[in-house]
Amino acid sequence: MELSNHIPSEIDLIKGCIEGNSKMQELLYKKFSSKMYGVCLRYSGNVDDANDLLQEGFIKVFKNLNKFRGEGSFEGWIRRIFVNTSIEHFRRKIKLYNVSEVQENTIEDTDLTALDNMAEKDIIALVNELSPGYKTVFNMHVIEGYSHKEIADILGITEGTSKSQLARAKGVLKKSLEKVINKIS
Amino acid sequence: MQDFKTKLYNYEADPPAEMWQNIHNELNTTKGKVVSMRGLNRRPKIIFYGITAAASIIIIFLISIIFSKSEKHQFENDAASLTKTERQLLNSKKIQDSITLNNKILEGIINSKKDKNLISEIYENSFNKIKKYITIEGPEGQPVKISPKVATLIESADNEFPPKPVWNKKIEKWKQIMLISTLSPTSTNLMDIVQSSSSNDTDDE
Repeated sequence: MELSNHIPSEIDLIKGCIEGNSKMQELLYKKFSSKMYGVCLRYSGNVDDANDLLQEGFIKVFKNLNKFRGEGSFEGWIRRIFVNTSIEHFRRKIKLYNVSEVQENTIEDTDLTALDNMAEKDIIALVNELSPGYKTVFNMHVIEGYSHKEIADILGITEGTSKSQLARAKGVLKKSLEKVINKIS
Repeated sequence: MQDFKTKLYNYEADPPAEMWQNIHNELNTTKGKVVSMRGLNRRPKIIFYGITAAASIIIIFLISIIFSKSEKHQFENDAASLTKTERQLLNSKKIQDSITLNNKILEGIINSKKDKNLISEIYENSFNKIKKYITIEGPEGQPVKISPKVATLIESADNEFPPKPVWNKKIEKWKQIMLISTLSPTSTNLMDIVQSSSSNDTDDE
């Protein structure tokens, strides 16, 4: 199927998709699929799960497009759907036990600055080494920018648990990073 | 140099080529899914059946209440429509019926060596069940409810059957118990009636 060279505006895309226009749906898919696939890979850690998540996420997007009120960016809305789909998908795997607020060794983001010099794929590979629980909290807080309270609400845990999981995730990442650096040097 | 957060946030990867086709197919399948609509149509039916069942139960319940009330009302009307004489006749008929039944039971017990309880049970089952209580007139004209079985006791004071000595002994025994008892007998008490009936009998002799 040949798509016309004319690139429709975001509003036209949304309208077309709501009306069930296949061409518009395909255009929307092409526009966001790579970014959303990146999100899926970040949360899933493997291609098979990421493929499932991508498919499930886009089905949700097309079915719920009429609920988009235009508040905030469209990409942000889509991204949120994909993040939520990923969390739902891996909820069974994520076993986070509520812990009393314990003093974790705080690892500053500056300790992870070595990651800045690494290629995206390598960073993804390191993040994917984390356990599902650590990875989810790390992705949600550090990358997506969710607050600990939001994470606690979404995952059904306490804020303390969220903070603790993040601290441990950073600790594991730091160790992995040190190993990589040592290998190179 | 981008920091790792931005890198990860903007990380992109190409999905498999056949992915769009899968999504497209899935969307078309979902479109064609009339099943969900059927489910929606089915739900009101279930609700409809539920409401119908509930309504039926309520109607049956109401009808039964109305019917029982009207029956009771009818009975009360019938009772009210009876004159005093008719009521007395009815009561005396009931007493007579009870006495006949009791006499039959006693006769069976006296003339048979079988188990007494068994005989009385056989008689009671074979005979049409009479009302649980019968109302008789007390010494001061007040109504007194007694068991139909006890009617025989009162009757025994005047009749030859069952043999007097048997009942007289029992009555004497009960009288003694009553006299010893700290309870003061009243006119509505069964034993008073028995006593008065018995004393009348003695006076006649």
